[in-house]
Amino acid sequence: MSFIRITQAATPEVDLQTTYDAVVIGSGAAGGMAAHVLTSHGMKVLMLEAGKKLDMNSELKSMEWPYEHPRRGAMPPGHHALSLNEYNIRKPPYAAGSSFKSVYSYVQGWGGSDYSKNIVVDEKNHPYAGTNYAWVRARLLGGKTNIWGRLALRLSDYDFKAKSRDGYGEDWPISYADIAPYYDKVDLYLGISGVKENLPYLPDSLFQRPNTLAPAEVTLRNSLRKMNRVLTPYRAGVTTDGLKHNKYRSRCFGRGACSRRAGGCDIHAAFDSPTGLIYPAMDTGNLTLRTNATAREILVDPKTGKARGVAFVDTDSGRSYEAHGKVVVVAASTLESARLLLLSKSTTHPNGIGNSSGHVGHNFCEHVMGPGVTGLAKDLIGKPRTLDDGRPGNFYVPRFRNLSDKNPNFIRAYGFEGGAGTQIFPEHATDTPGFGTGFKKKVRDYAGAYISMGGFGEVLSRFENYVDLDPSLKDRWGIPVIRFHYKFGDNEKKMCEDMANAAQEMFEAAGFEILDVSRTVLTEGWSIHELGTARMGSDPKTSVLNQFQQSHDVKNVFVVDGSSHVNASCQNPTWTIMALAWRSCDYLASELGKGNL
Amino acid sequence: MSDHDNDLSRREAIKLGAAATVAASLGVGDAAAQVRVGGFFTEAEFALLDELSEMIIPTDDHSPGARAAKVAAFIDARLAEAWEQKDRTDWRSGLALVDRLSQEAHKLPFMKASPEQRLAVLTRMAQNESNPQKPEEKFFKELKSRVVYAYYTSEIGIKQEMEYKGNTYQSEFAGIDVSQQ
Repeated sequence: MSFIRITQAATPEVDLQTTYDAVVIGSGAAGGMAAHVLTSHGMKVLMLEAGKKLDMNSELKSMEWPYEHPRRGAMPPGHHALSLNEYNIRKPPYAAGSSFKSVYSYVQGWGGSDYSKNIVVDEKNHPYAGTNYAWVRARLLGGKTNIWGRLALRLSDYDFKAKSRDGYGEDWPISYADIAPYYDKVDLYLGISGVKENLPYLPDSLFQRPNTLAPAEVTLRNSLRKMNRVLTPYRAGVTTDGLKHNKYRSRCFGRGACSRRAGGCDIHAAFDSPTGLIYPAMDTGNLTLRTNATAREILVDPKTGKARGVAFVDTDSGRSYEAHGKVVVVAASTLESARLLLLSKSTTHPNGIGNSSGHVGHNFCEHVMGPGVTGLAKDLIGKPRTLDDGRPGNFYVPRFRNLSDKNPNFIRAYGFEGGAGTQIFPEHATDTPGFGTGFKKKVRDYAGAYISMGGFGEVLSRFENYVDLDPSLKDRWGIPVIRFHYKFGDNEKKMCEDMANAAQEMFEAAGFEILDVSRTVLTEGWSIHELGTARMGSDPKTSVLNQFQQSHDVKNVFVVDGSSHVNASCQNPTWTIMALAWRSCDYLASELGKGNL
Repeated sequence: MSDHDNDLSRREAIKLGAAATVAASLGVGDAAAQVRVGGFFTEAEFALLDELSEMIIPTDDHSPGARAAKVAAFIDARLAEAWEQKDRTDWRSGLALVDRLSQEAHKLPFMKASPEQRLAVLTRMAQNESNPQKPEEKFFKELKSRVVYAYYTSEIGIKQEMEYKGNTYQSEFAGIDVSQQ
């Protein structure tokens, strides 16, 4: 089988004299969705992306065998990935004083890092300050969607109305009924694989061809059912049937080995923003793309107090430019969007644009990770080899705490991601004791018998967990950097203890031999699910945005990424980011048409 | 999963299994000592590393071992270009330590010792693998870790030893469809 590689229509020339209908800052899940929706309404849009446009086919080389690469996929000497130990014992900026040529976040410590070293940022150019935080950033067209884990989950009213259930924090200014039609639109436009389970706390999507389970995963699914818990095939943001309306993406062919590197899919069966959203938007003729444009400030008209455009720095040359728009749509990622709002100080907005509440940067939340379990399905030892990773993903165990019961030790919940069976590299080999023929046979015999899972728990949104601008440290472009004031709290610690215990119980109940129960909580930031630095709400004193992600203070500024989320829930956020952005951009286009912006 | 799907995957499994058998019979796993190009180690060090790697993952009746998979050459090439000089000095002293242990126990350098004597030295190094304390125990852990990585990322390791069936286009996903259950 082969694929025709299609190049998209040339983008219109960037025109910095004109006033676009909208300037979109960022090109990831949120920015891409904004570009798609706004251009579909006929608006002329300029998208600013800080990084380059990379040819993903030549970057990812998804089907290159390890032995076809001179270092078996590893980065060249002098390129260093930060370790858990470095994140914990040192303080940011982690690359300061390093003797390595380039320093990357921890995801580059996985196998196959040579394929993603141009996708994630070099920490030397992008320092940050404050408390320990494992911040993973990708500056290129499409941002982190180029390597995301692609677990695509919906939130429910258990999340949107969590305060009404347990009294903590704030409810979202929307309910599931408001966003459900937009989840449907995202499902149909981008494609998602999964299995219907009819769970009120994890609503089903409009699934394409279902994802599958390995034998040990079926064992666990059947066992969990007796505990009134669910194991469902990974809800993958992957098109398994193909998308007739999108010529840039292929359906998934279960090629396997998807997890051997930081991520990425060079046939674009897995969603990424460029092929899923941006190239089709360019084909409308309404989208202009300016890459290498590092946004530095949202410009304000002093007479009206409204935004008039964006000041940016050319990432390569360092020269300054201005782009102008009737509306500014901020989609630079949760932390970068907060940074940009705080950087945009003016006489009308002395604390940063849209920050009269003082909440920008605050209520910062995410998912806590680390606790998990590894077990052995003994009935599979020594069985003939099967292909177990030739599918879009492995499995997900949705939350089960604080649904109808009330846990005495913590509020909110966690879910597990896991997998079983053979992979291209037998991870267990290094830890299999001994050497010689016995060792070799054991590695071979046990390869299909391992199963493991790890938790993702909700970190409570707290005002005192926040980011601001460091008073002295600047990045390579002379722009003040983020300073973290962020720590897990007591609720997260207690939740993590329960996560490890529950994981062990579930594996024991399924008859797996327990090999390891991990209780180590990974450094803040590890989940790459940062959320909530410019939250939505109906009260302008305690929130930054209204229910349409529109600034309470400045009507023509919208912040459409994860920064708008009121809580983290425990479900992976990307699908919700895109559904919300779609809803808000429909509203934006309508309001602009009515002359209300 | 329908019966039809079961049939299909079984047929594919048989086909792929046959391909692996053919590769093995073509002698891809020639066990002769390898000729080296460039690298960091001296000839003697390289021969020692080659022997140690083959002892850790030997040729057996299932597939060729570390020597055929050119594990020593991969480790040697990586060390030659390693960013930190310490990696090279640690490996050089680690290999010297193997000879020293052999001298102490058997009055012979490792490569002159008998297979039983070599096994005794490596067995001593491999004790406390889960919690290495002595220099030779720590070196064994490093040695094994690199040998394992090099072997199981080699073509022999992936295709012949582990019979990995992925990294190929498939009409159906691997695994069990539970959507109707």
